[in-house]
Amino acid sequence: MKRKLAVIGTCIAISPILFSFCGFYVSKADGTLKNKTSQVILVRDGNKTVITMYNDYKGDVKDFAMVVPVPVVLRKDDIHVVDQSIFQRLNDYSAPRLVEYWDQNPCTMNNLEEVVVTAMGQKRASKDLGYATSKADLGVKIEAKYLVGEYDILILSAKESGGLKEWLTSNGYKIPEGAEEVLDPYIKSNLKFFVVKVNEAEKKKLPGNFLRPLQIGFNSPKFMLPIRLGMANSDGDQDLIVYAFTRKGRVECTNYRNVNIPTGKSIPLFVQKNFSAFYSNLFDRQWNNEDKSVGFLEYAWDVSPQNFYHCDPCIATAPSEQDLVQSGVWWLKGKDWTDYSDVDNDEPDNGSKNVHFTRLHFRYNRKSFAQDLMFQVTPNTETFQARYVITHPAPGNFTCDAGKKYLQELKRRRKNELMELTALTGKNIDTWQDDATAANDEEDVAEAQYINLLPEVKEEMEKENNSPIGILLMSAVVLGSAGFLRWRGYV
Amino acid sequence: MPVHLFKDARYFQIIFQSVFLGYGIFYLHWTAEWWLYGTYFGISITTQFLCEMIFNTSKIKIFSGSWWNKLRIGIPSALISSFGLSLLLKTNHWTIAVLAAVISIASKYIIRFNGKHIFNPSALGIVVVLFFTGQAWISPGQWGSGIVILFAVLSLGFIVVTRVQKLDVSIAFLGTFSLLLFARQIIYLGWPMDFFVQSISTGSLLLFSFFMITDPKTTPNHSVARILWSMAVAVVAFYLTTFKFMNGAPIWVLIFAQPLVPILDKLFKARRFQWKTSKQLNPEETRFLQSVYTHSVM
Repeated sequence: MKRKLAVIGTCIAISPILFSFCGFYVSKADGTLKNKTSQVILVRDGNKTVITMYNDYKGDVKDFAMVVPVPVVLRKDDIHVVDQSIFQRLNDYSAPRLVEYWDQNPCTMNNLEEVVVTAMGQKRASKDLGYATSKADLGVKIEAKYLVGEYDILILSAKESGGLKEWLTSNGYKIPEGAEEVLDPYIKSNLKFFVVKVNEAEKKKLPGNFLRPLQIGFNSPKFMLPIRLGMANSDGDQDLIVYAFTRKGRVECTNYRNVNIPTGKSIPLFVQKNFSAFYSNLFDRQWNNEDKSVGFLEYAWDVSPQNFYHCDPCIATAPSEQDLVQSGVWWLKGKDWTDYSDVDNDEPDNGSKNVHFTRLHFRYNRKSFAQDLMFQVTPNTETFQARYVITHPAPGNFTCDAGKKYLQELKRRRKNELMELTALTGKNIDTWQDDATAANDEEDVAEAQYINLLPEVKEEMEKENNSPIGILLMSAVVLGSAGFLRWRGYV
Repeated sequence: MPVHLFKDARYFQIIFQSVFLGYGIFYLHWTAEWWLYGTYFGISITTQFLCEMIFNTSKIKIFSGSWWNKLRIGIPSALISSFGLSLLLKTNHWTIAVLAAVISIASKYIIRFNGKHIFNPSALGIVVVLFFTGQAWISPGQWGSGIVILFAVLSLGFIVVTRVQKLDVSIAFLGTFSLLLFARQIIYLGWPMDFFVQSISTGSLLLFSFFMITDPKTTPNHSVARILWSMAVAVVAFYLTTFKFMNGAPIWVLIFAQPLVPILDKLFKARRFQWKTSKQLNPEETRFLQSVYTHSVM
């Protein structure tokens, strides 16, 4: 069966996006701030890490304050502000994708189908920013003080959490419940605190009323994201999307399981109308099935500027070399001989311009994620993308013999698609009643309509034995071989 | 009774390892790299056979019709090494997989001292390939932390059923490692308890404690030496994990600690076969224990 292919680019549902970084977000106002989805770019090679934190703070600029634990005292050169649109581009590019195929009518094989490529963007609202002043006291030492872009930045070290907490409180920060428990281990691990506020005067000079992402770079053998602080001021589950770039290959979480999100599945045509909802259901289901303490892989590919083949299919323009440099991929920049920031870097700069892109999706809460996220760079260069396939039926009628055969095939395929949809999302088969009905108008042949297949599928699924076949098979093999060995007298 | 069922403890080892691998693939949804597992198994068995031919000709003549025996004898330990590699070592390249399997098996025949091989076969294969090629990796997070009960049951079952008396190695290693982690994470840093529980309940650590460091061929013979040696491995592994942020530190430390075993055996040689005196054994049990002690684990 000949098929035509087109791509629907789409963004997964990351909504409602209330706050961006997984760090520690303090408020001067009484209003409780909640983080739901964070986005972070991680760039790692050798011992050097560059972290870029998306900022979509939605409150009054005066109330904005953020604390991020960092392993070393950062220098001014290590801190930058970058263009917010980077995150949009990386997300669009690496998001789970829907692929469209068109069947051709076997009775009229000379038909030409149009290939349509559409892309759906996701808008992100710009936000206002806040300002606050600060003083040092109580065993809290201000290691450094910088003005970077619209941000006033302090780097603090503290002797004990009580002092740090008091310092923050007396400077007008409202510490979320439970934060102290998390601060203490960080202080004793010799971490510094990167405290950010908005400088109102600088902010006014800039066009637009949004906050730009902050980018920090440092050398440390620790390759981690401090999510525990973010849990202090939020309740419930938080989503975190990590866009990771390395020279060697995929990034992997070392203290939680890494699971590939199911991919390459054929799903019913009507899912196209609401792909975001489909993916969000799928993610919920998989997350629950995998016992929650996992990181999902959604995309992995070599996106080196010299490599032109970055996805199959691509749903958005690949990040350009400039985008990658903006994201912090420093090895794509020309070598700056006055920059000594990589002196402590263990890994010698081998001049390679390779860039591997990994997109990881975490959904964490206090109960399932007791530890911060630890990562490692692996030499795994295998590609991966979350990809779902829809197939349009051939137009016209199927009166010829091949056509009748096609119709049977179509019905069988669609039944499988419905079952797959139910298996992936964990929703009851009846949930699709409305979607299936709505899709009817576009269908030529009543016989193969989803709505007419639903009752059959339902019946089949009820009959189906849901026993864990894998486990049973395995036990049988083990017992069988043990029996065989015993029988042959080997053991 | 179990002795009658399985004369050779290696068969238990193989069954447990296959259960672990099945659990990973079917339940934890590892990306099942069948070609990789196939390479490990095929190459390990072939290498084992070739090494047996090359290094062991004195016992059985090649063309005496007993070559099948030769192949058969080596299969269990080749399988154990292959499972060890399959469970731990990942790579994108078949050449790396071949290299790891060859190193694992050949090291048993080449790097020997006093009739004992020095290195744990799969641990050596893993470490050499990780260090020299940079094209392989291990995934410490692959087991998650929910596997603890399964491991506890299976591991204890393994030890009880086979009466392997080297539980002391596991306990000394795991106990020391956990105590140090507890002191560091809970007492010193003040993390909540679940932070610590997650650290020690990872499958990778338990698998190492019960199935890798316990290899009777590559641990000291004397029980005191054995316990001290295990504790030393734990201390160094703790240091590298906690302060150097090293992944898979126990395996690396083990490889560097194994050359110490012949030295320790020399120092503590007086009581080498102490376990025999603990109880009068019948010939069958003796044969069983010897088979345990003369074949490598993992």
